[in-house]
Amino acid sequence: MSVLARSVGNAFRNKVRTAAVVALLAVAIGLALAMLVANQAVGAKVQELNASVGTVLTVNPAGGQGGPAGQNATTLTTSLTAAIDAGTLGGRNQPANGTTGTTTAQPVRSLPITATGIGGEVDTIGKSLTITEGTGLGDYTAESANALLGTTLAEKNNLTIGSTFTINEQTFTVAGLFDSGPTFGNNALYLTLPTAQTVAELPGELSSMIVTVDGMENLEAAKAALESALGTDKADVTQGQNLESAVSSLGSVKNISFIAFVAALGTAGLIILLIMVMLVRERRREIGVLKAIGAPNRTIGLQFVLEALVLVAMGSAVGAAVASFASGGIASALISTNTTTTAATTTGRGAAMAGAAGGAGMPGGGAGFPGGAGLPSGNPLGGASQLLTSVTASASPGVIAAGIAAVFGVAIIGALVPALLTARIRPIEVLRGE
Amino acid sequence: MIEVKNLVRTFNSGDRTIKPVNDVSFVLEQGTLASIVGKSGSGKSTLLSLLGALDKPTSGDVVVNGVSLAGMPDGKLTEYRRRDIGFVFQQFNLIPNLSAMDNVMLPMEFAGVRRTERRQRATDLLEQVQLDPEKQVRRINRLSGGEQQRVAIARALANEPKLILADEPTGNLDEQTGDHIIELLSSLRRDHNTTILVVTHDKALANKTDRRFRLQQGRLTEEPARALV
Ligand SMILES: Nc1ncnc2c1ncn2[C@@H]1O[C@H](COP(=O)(O)OP(=O)(O)OP(=O)(O)O)[C@@H](O)[C@H]1O
Ligand SMILES: [Mg+2]
Repeated sequence: MSVLARSVGNAFRNKVRTAAVVALLAVAIGLALAMLVANQAVGAKVQELNASVGTVLTVNPAGGQGGPAGQNATTLTTSLTAAIDAGTLGGRNQPANGTTGTTTAQPVRSLPITATGIGGEVDTIGKSLTITEGTGLGDYTAESANALLGTTLAEKNNLTIGSTFTINEQTFTVAGLFDSGPTFGNNALYLTLPTAQTVAELPGELSSMIVTVDGMENLEAAKAALESALGTDKADVTQGQNLESAVSSLGSVKNISFIAFVAALGTAGLIILLIMVMLVRERRREIGVLKAIGAPNRTIGLQFVLEALVLVAMGSAVGAAVASFASGGIASALISTNTTTTAATTTGRGAAMAGAAGGAGMPGGGAGFPGGAGLPSGNPLGGASQLLTSVTASASPGVIAAGIAAVFGVAIIGALVPALLTARIRPIEVLRGE
Repeated sequence: MIEVKNLVRTFNSGDRTIKPVNDVSFVLEQGTLASIVGKSGSGKSTLLSLLGALDKPTSGDVVVNGVSLAGMPDGKLTEYRRRDIGFVFQQFNLIPNLSAMDNVMLPMEFAGVRRTERRQRATDLLEQVQLDPEKQVRRINRLSGGEQQRVAIARALANEPKLILADEPTGNLDEQTGDHIIELLSSLRRDHNTTILVVTHDKALANKTDRRFRLQQGRLTEEPARALV
């Protein structure tokens, strides 16, 4: 019989008590793990938000947000057929609006195709274009007879790389296909900026400018600089996606969950400490026996630490199971209580944007809607609801493993104190009465 | 050889001091079978615990084969208990949730004896104290007092100690089993030159020992041969 076998045996000596201790540990460990998962998930989300959409500024001519002020998109004719049948869209079939003011539309009942001239390989909200086939347009500041087509649009018109089509009788070649996620966004094509300006007969004009700031913290300064350079009477500088408050309240969720993780971890350590101190006191005489027959202090100490670890291992197994069921709920609960204000803000802003978009005759769709970073922007909650769903999904086994490692670390510390107490017990304890 | 020099152990109980071991001195040659008799509460167990390094004397010293226990560090005392001493406790002090076999193997585990050897030796010892094979694997708290006593004796012999200190080793045994245990201890002295000191109320046992001591109110006196008859 080894020290380990004895420790396992001792852990099960009093089955009712063991069950109670394991249950207590499971609650503490489960809570710790759930908090860690929530923390990691929210942390990752905050980083993602900061990195992707939180740093974009949109500059529009003064007087209208979300669309070229007082200036409707130019309507052009094309050989292309729209990828989206407007029959199913009811009243949404409206004149199209291109961000650079270049639009080709067919006079049939289908959603207009949006053509946009771009000065870089980015979409209308400043996100990098995902080219799925072919190449980009190379120099976006030079005229070019090449175009990028949305995947669904290309499919609808049986176009592949190298195929041609016309806009206002001018022939363009398909250089590449892009996928912007939502179907609406793919019912679009991109030209280089000078080409679009030429085709739309609006040389030198820009309908909007997307400025990506290098960090969340520089956003205010960049906005102020842009406003003073362009003049507030001539240009509206808006934060592409005002997720700052969402990010900061998510940041506090992150902090709260971390504190809760540490507290639950500490509780698990304390449970171990108390139960082991109790066990050492209870087995004083037995420890005396072990010493009387020549057990070294370290063997006895090790036996108690191992016994504590057996209890923690069982607590962790049950706790991890509890956490895997509970962490989703806990994360959502944490986020929904902490982001109520954010959600409200988002809703308000969403409505404002929807209004702006409607006024400008925007066909909806993610590409035209900076609020959602590729989300269906019809959802007024936008980013916040996306957070709720994606946060719970990101509990990785690595995080759970790290959490359990931390639990074991704390358990060893908790068990070390009573284990060291055993060294002070004298072998003469064997002669004391029960 | 064990030399006991002016050994004193005092306890403070309340406002008065008791001296269960009061200036005790004697010398036992290696291979001696000796006994201590005395009334209940006369200090026999206390004296034995001092010899077995379970307790430290208030004053005086125990010298085992020329090595003094006084001033020996705790680690060395543990090693002394593990290697040189076999202690049979009056209350047995077995580990209740382990089997008889595991209890006997425990001191060998602490001494670093290999697993297969531990098992073999424990089986032999339990056979020698006449414990049925079926009871060898039973948990201690499911054995009778006499059976537990025999397991305690087997455990004391596990590491082939030079000195066996046995506190009432036959107290719970019938005459026949008791005689057998005495026979076992005698054979150890004969075959392994083991020194054995037994505390007993059993006059028959005492009479079979080479030397007999009597403890009275902490004072040790040696009885001449046959004085206990
Ligand atoms: N830790 C202690 N504190 C105070 N008094 C003690 C302690 N240990 C023993 N004594 C006292 O010392 C005296 C001797 O005890 P001891 O156990 O040595 O007696 P004993 O001769 O073994 O008796 P028995 O034959 O009943 O086992 C007793 O009066 C006992 O109450
Ligand atoms: Mg006694």
